[in-house]
Amino acid sequence: MKPTDIRNPEYFHKVIDCQYACPSHTPVPEYLRLIAEGRYADAYMINWHSNVFPGVLGRICDRPCEPACRRGRVDREPVAICRLKRVAADFKDAVKARMPQIPKEKNGKRVALIGGGPASLTVARDLMPLGYQVDLYDEQSAVGGFMRSQVPSFRLPLEVLDEEIDYILDMGVNTFLNCRITSLKEFLQKGYDAVFIGTGAPRGRDLPTLKGRQEGDDHIHVGIEWLAAVAYGHIDTIGATTLVIGGGNTAMDCCRMARRLGGKDVRVVIRGSRAKMNASPWEIEDALKEDIPIIEGLSPLEFVVRDGRLIGMHFAKGGDQENPVFIACDEVLLAVGQQNAFTWIEKELGLKLKNHWLPVIDEATLQSTLPQVFFGGDAALGPKNVITAVALGHQAAISIDLYCRGLDLKVRPAPGITLSSQKMGVHDWIYDSQVTDDARQRVPTVETVKSIQDRMLEVELGFDKKSGRTEAQRCLNCDVQTVFSFADCIECDACADICPTSCINFINNGEEEDLRSRLAMPAKNTSQDLYVSDVLKTGRVMVKDENVCLHCGLCAERCPTAAWEMVKCFYDCAKAGQ
Amino acid sequence: MTFTRPKFRHPDLPPNALGYTRRDYEGALSTLCAGCGHDSISNAIIQACYELPVEPHRVVKMSGIGCSSKTPAYFLGKSHGFNSVHGRMPAIATGANMANRDLLYLGVSGDGDTASIGLGQFTHVVRRNLNMVYIVMNNGCYGLTKGQDSATADRGSTSKKGTPNPFESIDLCELALQIGAGFVARGFSGDKSQLVPLLKAAMSCRGFSLVDVISPCVTFNNTSASTKSYQYVRDHAEATGTVDLVPPRQEIVTDYQDGATQEVTLHDGSVIFLHKEEGSRSITDRRAAIDALESHRAENRILTGILYCMDDGGDTHEMIKTTLQPLNSILQEDLCPGNAALQQLMEGYR
Amino acid sequence: MEKIASINDCVIRFANVNGSGSASANNLFAKAVFRLGVPVSPKNIFPSNIQGLPTWYEVRVSEKGYMGRRGGADMVVAINSQTLRQDYDELVPGGYFLYDSTRTLPEEYNRTDITVIGIPLTDLCNTKIENPRLRQLLKNIVYVGALASLLDMGLEVFTDSLKRQFKKKPQLAEPNIQALEIGFAYAREHHQDACGLSIQSRTCNDGKIMMDGNNALALGALYAGATVAGWYPITPSTSVIEAFDSFTKRFRLEPESGLRKAAIIQAEDELAAVGMVIGAAWNGARAFTATSGPGLSLMNEFLGLAYFAEIPVLLVDVQRVGPSTGMPTRTQQSDILTAAYASHGDTRHVLLFPAGPRECFEMMADGFDLAERLQSPVIIMSDLDLGMNDWISEPFSWDDARRYDRGKVLSAADLEGLKEWGRYLDVDGDGIGYRTYPGTHPSKGAYFTRGSSHNEYAAYTEVAPVYERGMNRLLIKWETARRLVPPPEEKISDPACRIGAIFFGTSSPAAFEALDILKAEGITVNSLRLRSFPFQPQVMEFINRHDRVFIIEQNRDGQVRKLLLAENEMPAVKLVPVLHFDGHPITAGFISQQIRQALQARNSSI
Repeated sequence: MKPTDIRNPEYFHKVIDCQYACPSHTPVPEYLRLIAEGRYADAYMINWHSNVFPGVLGRICDRPCEPACRRGRVDREPVAICRLKRVAADFKDAVKARMPQIPKEKNGKRVALIGGGPASLTVARDLMPLGYQVDLYDEQSAVGGFMRSQVPSFRLPLEVLDEEIDYILDMGVNTFLNCRITSLKEFLQKGYDAVFIGTGAPRGRDLPTLKGRQEGDDHIHVGIEWLAAVAYGHIDTIGATTLVIGGGNTAMDCCRMARRLGGKDVRVVIRGSRAKMNASPWEIEDALKEDIPIIEGLSPLEFVVRDGRLIGMHFAKGGDQENPVFIACDEVLLAVGQQNAFTWIEKELGLKLKNHWLPVIDEATLQSTLPQVFFGGDAALGPKNVITAVALGHQAAISIDLYCRGLDLKVRPAPGITLSSQKMGVHDWIYDSQVTDDARQRVPTVETVKSIQDRMLEVELGFDKKSGRTEAQRCLNCDVQTVFSFADCIECDACADICPTSCINFINNGEEEDLRSRLAMPAKNTSQDLYVSDVLKTGRVMVKDENVCLHCGLCAERCPTAAWEMVKCFYDCAKAGQ
Repeated sequence: MTFTRPKFRHPDLPPNALGYTRRDYEGALSTLCAGCGHDSISNAIIQACYELPVEPHRVVKMSGIGCSSKTPAYFLGKSHGFNSVHGRMPAIATGANMANRDLLYLGVSGDGDTASIGLGQFTHVVRRNLNMVYIVMNNGCYGLTKGQDSATADRGSTSKKGTPNPFESIDLCELALQIGAGFVARGFSGDKSQLVPLLKAAMSCRGFSLVDVISPCVTFNNTSASTKSYQYVRDHAEATGTVDLVPPRQEIVTDYQDGATQEVTLHDGSVIFLHKEEGSRSITDRRAAIDALESHRAENRILTGILYCMDDGGDTHEMIKTTLQPLNSILQEDLCPGNAALQQLMEGYR
Repeated sequence: MEKIASINDCVIRFANVNGSGSASANNLFAKAVFRLGVPVSPKNIFPSNIQGLPTWYEVRVSEKGYMGRRGGADMVVAINSQTLRQDYDELVPGGYFLYDSTRTLPEEYNRTDITVIGIPLTDLCNTKIENPRLRQLLKNIVYVGALASLLDMGLEVFTDSLKRQFKKKPQLAEPNIQALEIGFAYAREHHQDACGLSIQSRTCNDGKIMMDGNNALALGALYAGATVAGWYPITPSTSVIEAFDSFTKRFRLEPESGLRKAAIIQAEDELAAVGMVIGAAWNGARAFTATSGPGLSLMNEFLGLAYFAEIPVLLVDVQRVGPSTGMPTRTQQSDILTAAYASHGDTRHVLLFPAGPRECFEMMADGFDLAERLQSPVIIMSDLDLGMNDWISEPFSWDDARRYDRGKVLSAADLEGLKEWGRYLDVDGDGIGYRTYPGTHPSKGAYFTRGSSHNEYAAYTEVAPVYERGMNRLLIKWETARRLVPPPEEKISDPACRIGAIFFGTSSPAAFEALDILKAEGITVNSLRLRSFPFQPQVMEFINRHDRVFIIEQNRDGQVRKLLLAENEMPAVKLVPVLHFDGHPITAGFISQQIRQALQARNSSI
């Protein structure tokens, strides 16, 4: 193999598994260290800069970082990154003063945001400090989109959401609420320099053709809309026996909300197996904890309505339509997916759509076929999650900024990389190099009996400072990189000997597959890179399997010639204007 | 700031034939200087014990005093260890071995501990052919007292102190050969691919097995004018051959066609295969081994690898005819003749 | 001239050249006295040499049972021409001078206050014994035969002894008996009634045995279950190990294989010897070594290790005359301080002071129990006089119900059930932790033994309070030792008496005799015989109840006196030293004279 080019910022970025997995590439280890130090506001601002809604995401994020977390590869469970984000939000001091200064003098460019969800808000956040005039349009009476309408408040208290939305709106965003855009053509005549469409995936999929749908309509709801209705206070009860159809996170929210609205017997029915459910494992776990069974392998056949009243449903078990399974119920919540519908985008505008709910866009720039129109959030790529919406918002903001400045959208700003050596002295490092043995801390929750009675009551209490600190210290500091200087190495083996996870090898070079097989511990995880050095004096090369490196610094600690150095790599994903 | 080693290990650590993973052979974190050759040897010991395999609790670690003698704390944490006094490890090892002949005695010593203060005890434990592995972590200097030349420092070799050593050096391998060691080998801490098989072979041989391991002292004796530096040893070492140890009851699948391979079968049925260089001498010929050492020495070459291996000498127990049962396990009934015998004995004193 | 005349109360000195075979003849004589039922105490006064130098054998015969050296000789059997003059001159007036009259005594040997008894030993042998090789050896038997006649002992007890001795080789007994008869016949014919000394049959020795201390120690080691001995030859301890070697060959051989249930290794030096003991004891075998002063000096380093790492060691110190090489074949009690505090740093060791063969046997067995119970060295302080001379002793016995006390050792089952274990954790409050042997349990109980500072869990530490804690715990253990060691033997002749005497080991027989002498003069002295260190409370109680306490010992510096002062608070003047250190065993005459003088000096000063 060729020597690894560690000057490529993406090499080290990839080593920081959590950050790499995060759609908006939040510098997780950096803020976890700050939490461990009790610097909550600093930790919050790192987050805010990157993901805009730390308080919200610290509660409802899909947390792709956690399955990626290195700790999960050597310990039983990964670091509770998501809930630590909440620790930063919960314990921070006032951060208002740290928010970016908004130029009094605008740059003369006007940008419209259609839809007030996380993607649009992110665009606003990124463009406001650059001097843009930003007008935000939303059909609801309050900004927040999905976060407000569809996330129940027992998971995300309103004040948390409002706080973080206000940080953005207070920058001077012009909001146009209760304002439904019905024609893009008309809207474009407002003469905005750029338009961002972040209308989300507002429509839940229905099962309109299923027998009995019409007749049972009073007791059959599209889950996501039902959740919105609950959120807005339009609905506050539900039948004693409720079936929830579907296996995604919305289904989990529906069933748990049903329990809170008086549902005594709430069950989830899914087509496939539990193992293949779309919902996040922890969401499933929360539902199970609330005595909600999940019935596998049933496909809906019919809503059974008797005397004008829904009495249950028929399902086909494993495709067997001849012997339907009957499950009695009073109410059904459908959570079988979401749809987009751009009925308000006129064909003649030249804005091409892929299908009924997705536009044709350049995935890197998020630009539509109508150059001044950009998409983001679920409206751009289909239903994802808040953190993806934020990430897309950042990218859209970059594109809009480049577009407004007449620059090439393809030439994206480079990420910011800051490298800093961590050695202070013998056995002394700037970062906390000790790897703790602590197990993942449990987030305390309100008693189930109590929480079921109050839908506004947040179930999770969040970490306290102590458990937060303990949990934060479980972080392996993957951003502190092991940097090897082959010219200084005397091949004494000290690093290979001390390495707790046997990552470091001094062997003869070969092709990657061959090298991987010849390491002291064969490198079977091909999603993780090998770090290969130049040829050493004995003709061998140093090969390090990045897979389970603990970043404990012992290689550098035990190196007599400082051929190993621990270097913190702060990878800052580019934002608009950079 | 404290200094600890994380508890996590590679999740795929494979168990050996006894069900232990490599981790079960580890010890505490080393407090030697960064880059010390001794740490490499400690790791080679861990690897050898893991591969052989031996049960960790059936190993007894012995050492004297010095940097080398600290190392038993750094490997085989599940084994009993005894860090005794300077130069006296052989006596402790002899006593321990007398008490229980069924354990594997692993002595670790340094060049000061062995070739100076302990030279007397070393020679006598060799001539008794005590069944033990005696590893010398040989760096040619006194580390703990900051770099004085030791008795194995080559004449003219210059440590960090800057003055060439004026005295003749003691070649421990040659000495051991002269006085009856059953197994003699020389290794280099910087070459584990050679050292691990050497250690495994030493552990498999009955009787006294010396493994003299050149182990550079990075702090005091890794200078460009030292003959115990990483660079010098790499430039001047020459192996008698590469070694494979095939343990007993394991099918010998390696196909050694070339005539340069020598096989030595050990008492327990293990076989050492030595793939020799052209013109190498036999490793079962004591005199040839001494010749080889001398001729390499004359050419400023360092001969490494297995130098001699004869597994039929009979260890101390065989020499003094002790029972096969470990002495520490014999019950009072079998040791104390009882009062009747005593009274009979008393008659002889009347 | 008044000839000395006595029945069963005399000292006979044999003056020989070493390497001439005199030892067995002299033993034959002493044994004969013993078998006649008369208390006897022979002392070998020999040079540090193998052949050709003067050696003396002094036999004290005492019906009263005084076994200490008396001093002076009533008869000299002067067979050594090198010392003939000296032996002649030193004979007490009225004494008897027996010599080989093959050569005429020179003119200047003209004392008139002694009786000269000439026996032509060489002549008799040359004419009556054909085998020239045997002549030299049997010459010694001839004078024994002569003594049998002179001292009225009769021949039977001698011939019986020879027959017993050569039971398996009767052909060897024959020439010896012949030699005996030659000497006996010559003396009866030529020196009838020449000698006023007489040894007559009694029953004082019924049931008793005659054995040297080194053999008794070796037998003790056999019975105590010792399996490993590391040693280095040094006079006068060598025969401890040699006797152990022969006892184990007799009692520990496996019948089929001939393999032995004991490992005896002759080490390269005393350092290695005690190192082997430490290694073996650490690994669960009962192990011991025997040495003398110079060896003890060499063992200091290792004794400190054993004390600090808490490893049982049983060490026999058969003391000889120091300092340095000193007089290797003479006796002294002069290693007390170096043994008590052997090694650098704060150390102290348990000492046992046997005063006879039976105590040697018993203290060896007890010593192993103590060493393993205390996990610390135990040093048995014998000396050349006790170790290499034959002593009449009560016979030994072994309680078959007795179990070895192996101390606190955890088995695999114990370890299995243990939640927390620290090698040096004092869970019982006696200062003693629980130890484990290597190889006991696959995952529990392993620890790292070290002579460097360690904490309760055997881990290296330089933390000041942890070190202090460990050292203080060793003091708690020392108090435990104080409770376990054998108590002193107290003799309060008169509770009102304010004068006491303290002694130990081989000073005891002479001391007891001296106290009898003083008592006969009207001076009562209470006594306490020390049997161990640390000193038990009785020792201070004894000192406290007396105004003056004579400390009788065989060294120059009053080592036990110093030890008493070092370990207890008291005015030094209270302890009056009685010191004998010329290399010969201390005598009752010397002791009684010293005490008498000291008391007179005090009385006159008042």
